[in-house]
Amino acid sequence: MAEKKLRHSDLVKNWLLGYSSETCYNYERLQAMGRANAMIPIVRRLYDTKEKQAQELKKYMVFFNTEPSFIGTVIHGIDASMEEQRANGEDITAEDINAVRTGLMGPMAGIGDTVSQGIIYPILAGIACSLALAGNIAGPILFEVVYKVLMLTLGYTFYMMGYRQGKSAILSFLKAGTLNRITEIFSIVGLMVVGNMAASRVTIICPLAFTIGKVSLNIQTVLDSLMKGLLPLAITLGVWKMVDKKIKPTYIIIIMFAVGIVASLLGILGVPKTA
Amino acid sequence: MLVSALLVALIATCSTWWFSHVVTRTWLYPLWVGFLVALAMGQPIAGMKAAAYIQLAYLGWITAGGTMPGNLMVAGVFGTALTLLSHADPSLAVTFAVPFSLLGILTWQAYMTLNSIWIHQGDKFLDQNNIRGLRLMNYVPSFFTSLVLNGIPAFLLVYYGGGWAQQALKAIPQPLITAFQVVGAMMPALGIAMLLNYMGQKKVIPFFFLGFFLTEYLKLDTMSITIFAAIVGIALYFFQNGQNSSGTSGRSGKVKDSTAPAAGQTASEKE
Repeated sequence: MAEKKLRHSDLVKNWLLGYSSETCYNYERLQAMGRANAMIPIVRRLYDTKEKQAQELKKYMVFFNTEPSFIGTVIHGIDASMEEQRANGEDITAEDINAVRTGLMGPMAGIGDTVSQGIIYPILAGIACSLALAGNIAGPILFEVVYKVLMLTLGYTFYMMGYRQGKSAILSFLKAGTLNRITEIFSIVGLMVVGNMAASRVTIICPLAFTIGKVSLNIQTVLDSLMKGLLPLAITLGVWKMVDKKIKPTYIIIIMFAVGIVASLLGILGVPKTA
Repeated sequence: MLVSALLVALIATCSTWWFSHVVTRTWLYPLWVGFLVALAMGQPIAGMKAAAYIQLAYLGWITAGGTMPGNLMVAGVFGTALTLLSHADPSLAVTFAVPFSLLGILTWQAYMTLNSIWIHQGDKFLDQNNIRGLRLMNYVPSFFTSLVLNGIPAFLLVYYGGGWAQQALKAIPQPLITAFQVVGAMMPALGIAMLLNYMGQKKVIPFFFLGFFLTEYLKLDTMSITIFAAIVGIALYFFQNGQNSSGTSGRSGKVKDSTAPAAGQTASEKE
Protein backbone atom coordinates (compact mmCIF):
# COMPACT_ATOMS: atom_id res chain seq x y z
CA MET A 1 0.00 0.00 0.00
CA ALA A 2 1.37 3.37 -0.98
CA GLU A 3 2.09 5.77 1.84
CA LYS A 4 -0.64 8.36 2.28
CA LYS A 5 0.84 11.82 2.36
CA LEU A 6 -0.84 15.14 3.06
CA ARG A 7 -0.05 17.81 0.54
CA HIS A 8 1.08 21.26 1.52
CA SER A 9 -2.19 22.65 0.18
CA ASP A 10 -4.14 20.34 2.52
CA LEU A 11 -2.20 21.70 5.46
CA VAL A 12 -2.78 25.30 4.43
CA LYS A 13 -6.51 24.61 4.05
CA ASN A 14 -6.60 22.91 7.44
CA TRP A 15 -4.76 25.85 9.03
CA LEU A 16 -7.02 28.46 7.43
CA LEU A 17 -10.23 26.55 8.23
CA GLY A 18 -9.01 26.52 11.82
CA TYR A 19 -9.93 30.19 11.89
CA SER A 20 -13.57 29.11 11.60
CA SER A 21 -13.29 27.18 14.87
CA GLU A 22 -15.65 29.60 16.56
CA THR A 23 -18.20 30.12 13.79
CA CYS A 24 -20.79 27.99 15.54
CA TYR A 25 -19.41 28.71 19.00
CA ASN A 26 -21.68 27.18 21.64
CA TYR A 27 -21.73 26.35 25.31
CA GLU A 28 -22.23 22.65 24.82
CA ARG A 29 -19.05 21.71 22.98
CA LEU A 30 -17.49 25.12 22.15
CA GLN A 31 -15.17 24.64 19.14
CA ALA A 32 -16.07 21.01 18.38
CA MET A 33 -17.94 21.48 15.11
CA GLY A 34 -15.44 24.10 13.94
CA ARG A 35 -12.62 21.62 14.42
CA ALA A 36 -14.51 18.87 12.59
CA ASN A 37 -15.11 21.30 9.75
CA ALA A 38 -11.41 22.20 9.60
CA MET A 39 -10.40 18.54 9.39
CA ILE A 40 -12.49 17.88 6.26
CA PRO A 41 -9.63 18.48 3.77
CA ILE A 42 -7.36 16.21 5.82
CA VAL A 43 -9.72 13.22 5.95
CA ARG A 44 -10.67 13.70 2.30
CA ARG A 45 -7.01 13.30 1.34
CA LEU A 46 -6.34 10.38 3.64
CA TYR A 47 -9.46 8.25 3.16
CA ASP A 48 -11.28 7.30 0.00
CA THR A 49 -14.82 6.49 1.05
CA LYS A 50 -17.39 8.90 2.39
CA GLU A 51 -18.24 6.49 5.18
CA LYS A 52 -14.67 6.31 6.41
CA GLN A 53 -14.20 10.09 6.11
CA ALA A 54 -17.31 10.79 8.17
CA GLN A 55 -16.28 8.13 10.65
CA GLU A 56 -12.89 9.79 11.18
CA LEU A 57 -14.44 13.23 11.55
CA LYS A 58 -16.66 12.08 14.40
CA LYS A 59 -13.83 12.06 16.91
CA TYR A 60 -13.58 15.84 16.56
CA MET A 61 -17.20 16.38 17.60
CA VAL A 62 -16.22 16.37 21.27
CA PHE A 63 -15.81 19.25 23.69
CA PHE A 64 -12.82 21.26 22.58
CA ASN A 65 -11.67 24.78 23.31
CA THR A 66 -8.36 26.52 22.93
CA GLU A 67 -7.00 29.79 21.61
CA PRO A 68 -7.45 29.06 17.90
CA SER A 69 -5.69 31.92 16.12
CA PHE A 70 -2.19 32.68 17.39
CA ILE A 71 -0.61 29.86 19.38
CA GLY A 72 -3.28 27.16 19.67
CA THR A 73 -2.81 26.38 15.95
CA VAL A 74 0.04 24.17 17.16
CA ILE A 75 -2.66 21.68 18.24
CA HIS A 76 -4.29 21.89 14.81
CA GLY A 77 -0.92 20.97 13.29
CA ILE A 78 -0.51 18.05 15.69
CA ASP A 79 -4.02 16.84 14.75
CA ALA A 80 -3.05 16.74 11.09
CA SER A 81 0.18 14.91 11.78
CA MET A 82 -1.53 12.29 13.98
CA GLU A 83 -4.26 11.74 11.38
CA GLU A 84 -1.61 11.16 8.75
CA GLN A 85 0.22 8.60 10.90
CA ARG A 86 -3.06 6.89 11.77
CA ALA A 87 -4.02 6.60 8.12
CA ASN A 88 -0.66 4.97 7.44
CA GLY A 89 -1.44 2.19 9.85
CA GLU A 90 0.35 3.37 12.96
CA ASP A 91 -1.20 2.26 16.19
CA ILE A 92 -2.97 5.51 17.08
CA THR A 93 -6.56 5.22 18.25
CA ALA A 94 -9.19 7.95 18.15
CA GLU A 95 -8.94 8.03 21.94
CA ASP A 96 -5.19 8.67 21.72
CA ILE A 97 -5.76 11.62 19.42
CA ASN A 98 -8.34 13.15 21.70
CA ALA A 99 -6.21 12.53 24.78
CA VAL A 100 -3.41 14.58 23.23
CA ARG A 101 -5.76 17.33 22.08
CA THR A 102 -7.64 17.75 25.33
CA GLY A 103 -4.39 17.57 27.27
CA LEU A 104 -2.91 20.41 25.29
CA MET A 105 -5.94 22.66 24.87
CA GLY A 106 -5.82 24.15 28.37
CA PRO A 107 -2.15 25.14 28.47
CA MET A 108 -2.28 26.43 24.89
CA ALA A 109 -5.39 28.47 25.67
CA GLY A 110 -3.55 29.99 28.61
CA ILE A 111 -0.47 30.90 26.62
CA GLY A 112 -2.41 31.92 23.51
CA ASP A 113 -4.78 34.17 25.43
CA THR A 114 -1.88 35.78 27.25
CA VAL A 115 -0.06 36.50 24.00
CA SER A 116 -3.08 37.62 21.98
CA GLN A 117 -5.39 39.24 24.53
CA GLY A 118 -2.94 40.13 27.28
CA ILE A 119 -0.09 41.50 25.18
CA ILE A 120 -0.67 42.11 21.48
CA TYR A 121 -4.19 43.50 21.78
CA PRO A 122 -3.73 46.06 24.58
CA ILE A 123 -0.42 47.41 23.26
CA LEU A 124 -1.74 47.77 19.71
CA ALA A 125 -5.11 49.11 20.82
CA GLY A 126 -3.44 51.58 23.18
CA ILE A 127 -1.27 53.03 20.44
CA ALA A 128 -4.08 52.96 17.88
CA CYS A 129 -6.52 54.70 20.25
CA SER A 130 -4.16 57.56 20.92
CA LEU A 131 -3.77 58.03 17.16
CA ALA A 132 -7.52 57.77 16.59
CA LEU A 133 -8.37 60.25 19.34
CA ALA A 134 -5.99 62.73 17.71
CA GLY A 135 -8.16 62.38 14.60
CA ASN A 136 -5.66 60.25 12.72
CA ILE A 137 -7.35 57.62 10.56
CA ALA A 138 -4.13 55.57 10.62
CA GLY A 139 -5.12 54.47 14.14
CA PRO A 140 -7.73 51.81 13.38
CA ILE A 141 -6.01 50.81 10.13
CA LEU A 142 -2.71 50.23 11.91
CA PHE A 143 -4.53 48.16 14.51
CA GLU A 144 -6.23 45.97 11.91
CA VAL A 145 -3.18 45.42 9.71
CA VAL A 146 -0.58 44.78 12.40
CA TYR A 147 -2.96 42.57 14.38
CA LYS A 148 -3.75 40.37 11.38
CA VAL A 149 -0.13 40.15 10.21
CA LEU A 150 0.96 39.01 13.67
CA MET A 151 -1.99 36.62 13.95
CA LEU A 152 -1.41 34.91 10.62
CA THR A 153 2.38 34.78 10.96
CA LEU A 154 2.28 33.28 14.45
CA GLY A 155 -0.68 31.05 13.57
CA TYR A 156 1.07 29.60 10.51
CA THR A 157 4.39 29.17 12.28
CA PHE A 158 2.86 27.33 15.21
CA TYR A 159 0.64 25.20 12.96
CA MET A 160 3.63 24.02 10.95
CA MET A 161 5.66 23.48 14.11
CA GLY A 162 2.89 21.28 15.44
CA TYR A 163 2.64 19.32 12.20
CA ARG A 164 6.37 18.72 11.81
CA GLN A 165 7.41 18.10 15.38
CA GLY A 166 4.22 16.82 17.00
CA LYS A 167 3.76 16.90 20.70
CA SER A 168 7.47 17.29 21.40
CA ALA A 169 7.35 20.76 19.82
CA ILE A 170 5.27 22.09 22.67
CA LEU A 171 7.29 20.43 25.38
CA SER A 172 10.65 21.72 24.18
CA PHE A 173 9.12 25.11 23.62
CA LEU A 174 7.77 25.29 27.16
CA LYS A 175 10.87 23.92 28.84
CA ALA A 176 13.27 26.38 27.28
CA GLY A 177 11.64 29.22 29.19
CA THR A 178 12.11 31.51 26.19
CA LEU A 179 8.42 32.16 26.01
CA ASN A 180 8.38 33.34 29.59
CA ARG A 181 11.09 35.85 29.08
CA ILE A 182 9.53 37.15 25.89
CA THR A 183 6.21 37.42 27.71
CA GLU A 184 7.94 39.42 30.42
CA ILE A 185 9.42 41.88 27.95
CA PHE A 186 6.07 42.43 26.37
CA SER A 187 4.49 42.79 29.79
CA ILE A 188 6.91 45.63 30.44
CA VAL A 189 5.99 47.33 27.18
CA GLY A 190 2.30 46.68 27.81
CA LEU A 191 2.37 48.05 31.32
CA MET A 192 4.20 51.20 30.28
CA VAL A 193 1.72 51.82 27.47
CA VAL A 194 -1.12 51.20 29.90
CA GLY A 195 0.48 53.62 32.37
CA ASN A 196 0.51 56.19 29.60
CA MET A 197 -3.17 55.48 28.90
CA ALA A 198 -4.08 55.91 32.56
CA ALA A 199 -2.30 59.25 32.66
CA SER A 200 -3.57 60.61 29.37
CA ARG A 201 -7.08 59.13 29.17
CA VAL A 202 -8.45 59.01 32.69
CA THR A 203 -8.91 62.77 32.49
CA ILE A 204 -10.52 63.42 35.84
CA ILE A 205 -9.92 66.65 37.75
CA CYS A 206 -11.36 68.29 40.85
CA PRO A 207 -13.06 71.54 39.85
CA LEU A 208 -13.64 72.72 43.43
CA ALA A 209 -12.42 76.23 44.19
CA PHE A 210 -12.77 78.31 47.32
CA THR A 211 -12.28 81.96 47.89
CA ILE A 212 -11.14 82.79 51.37
CA GLY A 213 -10.97 86.53 51.79
CA LYS A 214 -8.87 87.65 48.85
CA VAL A 215 -7.10 84.35 48.32
CA SER A 216 -8.69 81.93 45.91
CA LEU A 217 -7.86 78.31 46.36
CA ASN A 218 -8.11 75.92 43.43
CA ILE A 219 -8.07 72.34 44.67
CA GLN A 220 -6.69 70.90 41.45
CA THR A 221 -3.65 73.21 41.66
CA VAL A 222 -3.01 71.95 45.17
CA LEU A 223 -3.34 68.33 44.04
CA ASP A 224 -1.01 68.94 41.10
CA SER A 225 1.64 70.39 43.38
CA LEU A 226 1.40 67.30 45.56
CA MET A 227 1.59 64.79 42.73
CA LYS A 228 0.58 65.14 39.14
CA GLY A 229 -2.18 62.79 38.10
CA LEU A 230 -3.17 61.98 41.66
CA LEU A 231 -6.88 61.58 40.86
CA PRO A 232 -6.49 59.43 37.72
CA LEU A 233 -4.02 57.23 39.56
CA ALA A 234 -6.25 56.94 42.61
CA ILE A 235 -9.26 56.00 40.46
CA THR A 236 -7.27 53.43 38.47
CA LEU A 237 -5.80 51.84 41.57
CA GLY A 238 -9.21 51.89 43.27
CA VAL A 239 -10.82 50.05 40.36
CA TRP A 240 -7.89 47.64 40.26
CA LYS A 241 -8.50 46.89 43.92
CA MET A 242 -12.14 46.07 43.10
CA VAL A 243 -11.13 43.83 40.18
CA ASP A 244 -8.57 42.15 42.38
CA LYS A 245 -11.27 41.43 44.96
CA LYS A 246 -13.15 39.56 42.22
CA ILE A 247 -16.07 41.96 42.24
CA LYS A 248 -18.08 41.34 39.05
CA PRO A 249 -17.35 43.79 36.22
CA THR A 250 -21.06 44.54 36.03
CA TYR A 251 -21.10 45.75 39.64
CA ILE A 252 -17.88 47.71 39.16
CA ILE A 253 -19.48 49.47 36.19
CA ILE A 254 -22.57 50.29 38.23
CA ILE A 255 -20.41 51.62 41.06
CA MET A 256 -18.41 53.75 38.61
CA PHE A 257 -21.58 55.19 37.09
CA ALA A 258 -23.00 56.00 40.52
CA VAL A 259 -19.79 57.55 41.87
CA GLY A 260 -19.13 59.49 38.67
CA ILE A 261 -22.61 60.93 38.39
CA VAL A 262 -22.98 61.83 42.07
CA ALA A 263 -19.48 63.31 42.36
CA SER A 264 -19.99 65.32 39.18
CA LEU A 265 -23.36 66.72 40.30
CA LEU A 266 -21.82 67.65 43.65
CA GLY A 267 -19.00 69.38 41.80
CA ILE A 268 -16.27 67.22 43.32
CA LEU A 269 -15.13 65.56 40.09
CA GLY A 270 -15.03 67.00 36.62
CA VAL A 271 -13.33 66.84 33.24
CA PRO A 272 -10.96 69.50 31.91
CA LYS A 273 -12.73 72.04 29.72
CA THR A 274 -10.58 71.31 26.69
CA ALA A 275 -11.29 67.58 26.66
CA MET B 1 -30.11 55.64 5.53
CA LEU B 2 -31.41 52.26 4.39
CA VAL B 3 -28.01 51.29 3.01
CA SER B 4 -26.26 52.45 6.18
CA ALA B 5 -28.73 50.54 8.32
CA LEU B 6 -28.28 47.36 6.28
CA LEU B 7 -24.49 47.64 6.43
CA VAL B 8 -24.49 48.26 10.18
CA ALA B 9 -26.81 45.25 10.59
CA LEU B 10 -24.34 43.11 8.64
CA ILE B 11 -21.41 44.41 10.70
CA ALA B 12 -23.32 43.74 13.92
CA THR B 13 -24.16 40.20 12.76
CA CYS B 14 -20.57 39.36 11.80
CA SER B 15 -19.14 40.91 14.95
CA THR B 16 -20.61 37.91 16.80
CA TRP B 17 -20.88 35.35 13.97
CA TRP B 18 -17.15 34.80 13.44
CA PHE B 19 -17.23 33.11 10.04
CA SER B 20 -13.44 33.27 9.89
CA HIS B 21 -11.06 34.89 12.31
CA VAL B 22 -8.91 35.80 9.32
CA VAL B 23 -11.52 38.51 8.87
CA THR B 24 -13.56 38.76 12.04
CA ARG B 25 -11.00 38.33 14.82
CA THR B 26 -10.62 42.10 15.12
CA TRP B 27 -14.37 42.70 14.82
CA LEU B 28 -14.61 41.90 18.50
CA TYR B 29 -12.78 45.07 19.33
CA PRO B 30 -14.67 48.37 19.52
CA LEU B 31 -11.89 50.34 17.83
CA TRP B 32 -12.11 48.38 14.59
CA VAL B 33 -15.77 47.36 14.55
CA GLY B 34 -16.77 50.89 15.59
CA PHE B 35 -14.65 52.27 12.78
CA LEU B 36 -16.45 49.98 10.32
CA VAL B 37 -19.79 51.25 11.65
CA ALA B 38 -18.50 54.80 11.26
CA LEU B 39 -17.59 54.11 7.63
CA ALA B 40 -21.00 52.54 6.99
CA MET B 41 -22.69 55.60 8.44
CA GLY B 42 -20.53 58.01 6.47
CA GLN B 43 -18.94 59.71 9.46
CA PRO B 44 -15.48 58.10 9.66
CA ILE B 45 -13.71 60.68 11.84
CA ALA B 46 -16.38 61.27 14.49
CA GLY B 47 -17.16 57.56 14.58
CA MET B 48 -13.51 56.62 14.86
CA LYS B 49 -13.12 58.91 17.87
CA ALA B 50 -16.26 57.47 19.47
CA ALA B 51 -14.95 53.96 18.83
CA ALA B 52 -11.60 54.83 20.39
CA TYR B 53 -13.28 56.24 23.51
CA ILE B 54 -15.26 53.00 23.82
CA GLN B 55 -12.18 50.89 23.16
CA LEU B 56 -10.28 52.42 26.07
CA ALA B 57 -12.76 51.01 28.57
CA TYR B 58 -12.11 47.50 27.23
CA LEU B 59 -8.31 47.41 27.05
CA GLY B 60 -7.87 44.59 29.53
CA TRP B 61 -10.94 42.49 28.79
CA ILE B 62 -10.09 38.87 28.28
CA THR B 63 -12.69 36.56 26.79
CA ALA B 64 -11.80 32.95 27.43
CA GLY B 65 -13.78 29.75 27.23
CA GLY B 66 -16.79 31.51 25.79
CA THR B 67 -17.34 33.68 28.85
CA MET B 68 -17.40 37.44 28.60
CA PRO B 69 -17.40 40.06 31.33
CA GLY B 70 -19.39 42.32 29.01
CA ASN B 71 -20.31 42.22 25.35
CA LEU B 72 -17.49 44.06 23.59
CA MET B 73 -19.00 43.72 20.15
CA VAL B 74 -22.34 45.16 21.16
CA ALA B 75 -20.53 48.01 22.96
CA GLY B 76 -18.53 48.83 19.84
CA VAL B 77 -21.35 48.59 17.30
CA PHE B 78 -24.28 50.05 19.23
CA GLY B 79 -22.22 52.59 21.18
CA THR B 80 -20.68 54.04 18.03
CA ALA B 81 -23.96 54.00 16.11
CA LEU B 82 -25.90 55.70 18.89
CA THR B 83 -23.23 58.38 19.33
CA LEU B 84 -23.31 59.18 15.61
CA LEU B 85 -27.13 59.10 15.43
CA SER B 86 -27.56 61.50 18.33
CA HIS B 87 -24.74 63.79 17.18
CA ALA B 88 -23.34 63.54 20.70
CA ASP B 89 -19.76 64.42 21.55
CA PRO B 90 -17.54 61.34 20.96
CA SER B 91 -16.37 61.48 24.58
CA LEU B 92 -19.89 60.42 25.59
CA ALA B 93 -19.68 57.26 23.47
CA VAL B 94 -18.36 55.04 26.23
CA THR B 95 -21.15 56.10 28.60
CA PHE B 96 -23.69 55.05 25.93
CA ALA B 97 -21.81 51.87 25.08
CA VAL B 98 -21.38 50.38 28.51
CA PRO B 99 -25.09 49.84 29.32
CA PHE B 100 -25.46 48.17 25.91
CA SER B 101 -22.56 45.88 26.68
CA LEU B 102 -24.26 44.76 29.90
CA LEU B 103 -27.47 44.02 28.02
CA GLY B 104 -25.26 42.31 25.44
CA ILE B 105 -24.20 39.69 27.98
CA LEU B 106 -27.73 38.30 27.62
CA THR B 107 -27.64 38.22 23.82
CA TRP B 108 -24.22 36.55 23.96
CA GLN B 109 -25.52 33.88 26.31
CA ALA B 110 -28.53 33.37 24.09
CA TYR B 111 -26.24 33.03 21.05
CA MET B 112 -24.00 30.48 22.75
CA THR B 113 -26.98 28.51 24.00
CA LEU B 114 -28.96 28.46 20.75
CA ASN B 115 -25.90 27.36 18.79
CA SER B 116 -25.89 24.12 20.77
CA ILE B 117 -28.89 23.09 18.69
CA TRP B 118 -26.94 23.16 15.43
CA ILE B 119 -24.15 20.92 16.64
CA HIS B 120 -26.67 18.12 17.22
CA GLN B 121 -27.81 18.51 13.65
CA GLY B 122 -24.12 18.28 12.70
CA ASP B 123 -23.89 14.97 14.57
CA LYS B 124 -26.86 13.65 12.59
CA PHE B 125 -25.33 14.65 9.27
CA LEU B 126 -22.11 12.83 10.16
CA ASP B 127 -24.12 9.72 11.02
CA GLN B 128 -25.54 9.93 7.49
CA ASN B 129 -22.00 10.39 6.07
CA ASN B 130 -23.04 13.83 4.90
CA ILE B 131 -19.84 15.89 5.22
CA ARG B 132 -21.21 18.82 3.26
CA GLY B 133 -24.12 18.94 5.70
CA LEU B 134 -21.71 19.21 8.59
CA ARG B 135 -19.96 22.12 6.93
CA LEU B 136 -23.31 23.78 6.32
CA MET B 137 -24.20 23.41 10.00
CA ASN B 138 -20.93 24.98 11.05
CA TYR B 139 -21.45 28.12 9.00
CA VAL B 140 -25.06 28.84 8.21
CA PRO B 141 -27.46 28.54 11.18
CA SER B 142 -25.30 30.57 13.57
CA PHE B 143 -25.41 33.41 11.04
CA PHE B 144 -29.16 33.60 11.45
CA THR B 145 -28.89 33.31 15.22
CA SER B 146 -26.61 36.34 15.24
CA LEU B 147 -28.74 38.14 12.65
CA VAL B 148 -31.77 37.93 14.92
CA LEU B 149 -29.90 38.75 18.13
CA ASN B 150 -27.57 41.47 16.84
CA GLY B 151 -28.24 42.38 13.22
CA ILE B 152 -31.94 43.19 13.40
CA PRO B 153 -31.68 45.32 16.57
CA ALA B 154 -28.79 47.23 14.94
CA PHE B 155 -30.85 47.78 11.81
CA LEU B 156 -33.80 49.08 13.82
CA LEU B 157 -31.55 51.42 15.81
CA VAL B 158 -29.92 52.97 12.76
CA TYR B 159 -33.01 53.05 10.55
CA TYR B 160 -35.56 54.33 13.04
CA GLY B 161 -33.45 55.59 15.92
CA GLY B 162 -32.01 58.83 14.49
CA GLY B 163 -34.71 61.34 15.39
CA TRP B 164 -35.44 59.64 18.66
CA ALA B 165 -31.76 59.61 19.69
CA GLN B 166 -31.32 63.30 18.95
CA GLN B 167 -34.41 64.23 20.94
CA ALA B 168 -33.38 62.03 23.82
CA LEU B 169 -29.97 63.67 23.91
CA LYS B 170 -31.56 67.14 23.86
CA ALA B 171 -33.82 66.15 26.73
CA ILE B 172 -30.89 65.32 29.00
CA PRO B 173 -30.08 68.36 31.17
CA GLN B 174 -26.60 69.82 30.84
CA PRO B 175 -25.37 68.88 34.37
CA LEU B 176 -26.19 65.25 33.59
CA ILE B 177 -24.32 65.44 30.28
CA THR B 178 -21.30 66.69 32.21
CA ALA B 179 -21.78 63.85 34.67
CA PHE B 180 -21.83 61.38 31.76
CA GLN B 181 -18.58 62.89 30.54
CA VAL B 182 -17.08 62.32 33.98
CA VAL B 183 -18.22 58.69 33.89
CA GLY B 184 -16.79 58.40 30.37
CA ALA B 185 -13.46 59.77 31.56
CA MET B 186 -13.40 57.27 34.43
CA MET B 187 -14.20 54.24 32.26
CA PRO B 188 -10.70 53.69 30.82
CA ALA B 189 -9.67 52.98 34.43
CA LEU B 190 -11.72 49.78 34.25
CA GLY B 191 -10.00 48.48 31.13
CA ILE B 192 -6.63 49.41 32.57
CA ALA B 193 -7.40 47.87 35.95
CA MET B 194 -8.45 44.58 34.34
CA LEU B 195 -5.23 44.49 32.37
CA LEU B 196 -3.16 45.27 35.46
CA ASN B 197 -4.92 42.45 37.23
CA TYR B 198 -4.17 40.10 34.34
CA MET B 199 -0.54 41.02 33.67
CA GLY B 200 0.25 42.09 37.17
CA GLN B 201 3.13 39.91 38.26
CA LYS B 202 4.55 41.92 41.11
CA LYS B 203 7.98 42.45 39.66
CA VAL B 204 6.81 44.16 36.46
CA ILE B 205 4.21 46.42 38.09
CA PRO B 206 6.67 49.31 38.66
CA PHE B 207 6.75 49.75 34.89
CA PHE B 208 3.10 50.78 35.00
CA PHE B 209 4.04 53.64 37.33
CA LEU B 210 7.02 54.49 35.14
CA GLY B 211 4.74 54.86 32.13
CA PHE B 212 2.24 56.84 34.17
CA PHE B 213 4.64 59.43 35.55
CA LEU B 214 6.67 59.75 32.36
CA THR B 215 3.39 60.87 30.82
CA GLU B 216 2.31 63.12 33.68
CA TYR B 217 5.60 64.93 34.18
CA LEU B 218 7.43 64.68 30.86
CA LYS B 219 4.28 64.74 28.68
CA LEU B 220 5.50 61.84 26.52
CA ASP B 221 2.99 60.47 24.02
CA THR B 222 2.04 56.81 23.54
CA MET B 223 4.46 56.17 20.69
CA SER B 224 7.51 57.50 22.52
CA ILE B 225 6.54 55.53 25.64
CA THR B 226 6.32 52.38 23.51
CA ILE B 227 9.76 52.97 22.05
CA PHE B 228 11.38 53.57 25.44
CA ALA B 229 9.55 50.58 26.90
CA ALA B 230 10.79 48.35 24.07
CA ILE B 231 14.37 49.50 24.70
CA VAL B 232 14.09 48.79 28.43
CA GLY B 233 12.50 45.39 27.73
CA ILE B 234 15.11 44.32 25.20
CA ALA B 235 17.98 45.48 27.43
CA LEU B 236 16.57 43.48 30.34
CA TYR B 237 16.21 40.43 28.09
CA PHE B 238 19.85 40.50 27.11
CA PHE B 239 21.01 41.14 30.66
CA GLN B 240 18.99 38.13 31.79
CA ASN B 241 20.42 36.07 28.96
CA GLY B 242 23.90 36.94 30.16
CA GLN B 243 23.17 35.52 33.57
CA ASN B 244 21.28 32.60 32.15
CA SER B 245 23.76 29.93 33.18
CA SER B 246 23.21 30.74 36.84
CA GLY B 247 19.62 31.85 36.62
CA THR B 248 17.69 29.12 34.89
CA SER B 249 16.52 27.33 37.99
CA GLY B 250 13.19 28.44 39.35
CA ARG B 251 11.89 29.39 35.94
CA SER B 252 9.89 26.28 35.32
CA GLY B 253 6.89 27.36 37.35
CA LYS B 254 6.45 30.66 35.63
CA VAL B 255 4.33 29.73 32.67
CA LYS B 256 1.64 28.99 35.18
CA ASP B 257 2.04 32.33 36.93
CA SER B 258 1.64 34.47 33.90
CA THR B 259 -1.14 32.48 32.33
CA ALA B 260 -3.12 31.37 35.32
CA PRO B 261 -6.12 33.73 35.02
CA ALA B 262 -6.99 32.80 31.48
CA ALA B 263 -6.07 29.19 31.77
CA GLY B 264 -7.86 28.78 35.05
CA GLN B 265 -10.99 27.36 33.61
CA THR B 266 -9.52 25.18 30.90
CA ALA B 267 -6.35 24.14 32.68
CA SER B 268 -8.32 22.60 35.48
CA GLU B 269 -9.62 20.02 33.07
CA LYS B 270 -6.11 18.84 32.47
CA GLU B 271 -5.04 18.58 36.05
